[in-house]
Amino acid sequence: MSLTEGILCSKTHEYLLEKDGKYIIGLTDYAVEQLGDIVFLELPDVGAEFVKGEIFATIESVKAASELYMPISGKILEINEAVVDNPEILNESPYEKGWLVKIESKTAIIDSVDLLEYEDYKEELA
Amino acid sequence: MTKKTFLHDEQIKLGAKMIEFAGWMMPVSYSSIIDEHKTVRENVGLFDVSHMGEVYVYGKDSLAFLNKLVPQDVSKLTIPKAVYCQLLNKNGGIIDDLIIYKIEDEKYLLVVNASRIDEDLNWMVRNSLGFDVSIDNQSHNYSLLAVQGPKAPDLMEKMGLKKESQPEFFSIKMAELFNINLFVSRTGYTGEDGFEILVKNEFSELLWNYIIDEGQEFGLKPIGLGARDTLRLEAALHLYGNDLDEQTTPIEAGLGWSVSKTKTADYNGKEVVQKQLEHGTEKKLVGLKMIDKAIARHEHEIFYNNELVGKVTSGGVSPILGENIALGYVKNIKDICTGGIVQVRIREKLYNAEIVKRPFVEKKNKI
Repeated sequence: MSLTEGILCSKTHEYLLEKDGKYIIGLTDYAVEQLGDIVFLELPDVGAEFVKGEIFATIESVKAASELYMPISGKILEINEAVVDNPEILNESPYEKGWLVKIESKTAIIDSVDLLEYEDYKEELA
Repeated sequence: MTKKTFLHDEQIKLGAKMIEFAGWMMPVSYSSIIDEHKTVRENVGLFDVSHMGEVYVYGKDSLAFLNKLVPQDVSKLTIPKAVYCQLLNKNGGIIDDLIIYKIEDEKYLLVVNASRIDEDLNWMVRNSLGFDVSIDNQSHNYSLLAVQGPKAPDLMEKMGLKKESQPEFFSIKMAELFNINLFVSRTGYTGEDGFEILVKNEFSELLWNYIIDEGQEFGLKPIGLGARDTLRLEAALHLYGNDLDEQTTPIEAGLGWSVSKTKTADYNGKEVVQKQLEHGTEKKLVGLKMIDKAIARHEHEIFYNNELVGKVTSGGVSPILGENIALGYVKNIKDICTGGIVQVRIREKLYNAEIVKRPFVEKKNKI
């Protein structure tokens, strides 16, 4: 199975993956590649709630800081402490070890209508 | 219209990520900024800095003219030496920072920032009235390559410039590499030993590829502007537009060492500069090391005892120290400037930082 199978991507380069009724949010390989060396990551607190499009995290590469936007609305269930401690994990493994947060969402299906499947996302970038 | 250097296509072949900088398409990185940074600190790196401007100033009054423009005493400059200085406006504000090389009697080469070439030329022409001097912008004819790192002297030797004939620190010489005539100077913007090579555009691609080939055994890699910025920040070298501008004097910027205290000739801004040398300044450039885990960036505000006391002008990571560092201006109060603990406001939150000595990483280029 490909790492990107089943993922949905936003135009701001966050990805969404449903797993066992929860949703994993991360940053696409394209975004990670563009950012270059990632050196800092600020993730929200567990329990925090966000609506689709809200800023939920900040990521900094050597070059600059960027903000990350919620691809769907939801409540943070878990954050990836390992990437906070070692942000370079994101460069190495954006889809496996480099996930950012896990959330629960009641509106995922409606919220994800404007998200793109990976192949279409890649095509948009080209 | 964005300009391309003569090495643009070679950089694309090497996998460069390109960005626009000061009106030029320039490589920001090839592999990874951190990897490129370490390559320059440990081995040797090759930079294309052809966006920089080259201006010749020559004629009977060239010395008097340059002495009017900068606070350094250009009369002390002898062939083939170079001096770092600033073009000042009437208020002592910095129009640009530059290196002046004395090439011949009554002939100087000025290497200036790409983003400031137009302002520099305007200012020079406006100040040239009454001087028998020619101002010859040659930026479009030259490429500038920088070879930087501890292994740079070995690489230059392998390319035909023996160590005993290599220019000394802050000197320049005409040389021949691979049958190409060029200027080699012992200067750079990394805090490492190294050279800058000024070559006519038509030979730059040939030279670039020779250096890439010959550099393999020394671990040479091409280096982009991203690492150029982290390298200069660790060495606490100023970046025009961030750390220097027309509202800032060399004394405020911690560049008092590049201001002559004995120069008798008048120069633009001298009154302000002299006053600041005697009575001090209200703001001062300092180095900051983040205590809390956050990265200070350009324009972030600095607080001391809940009072806004300054702004960060450059900030980022230090790949060598593994810490976050910054340059900024703060109120010139001893408690702040010597080891003070301040707070930097980053995304609406305050993070502690310590004022530390500059440079952050020891310079290796004083030979």
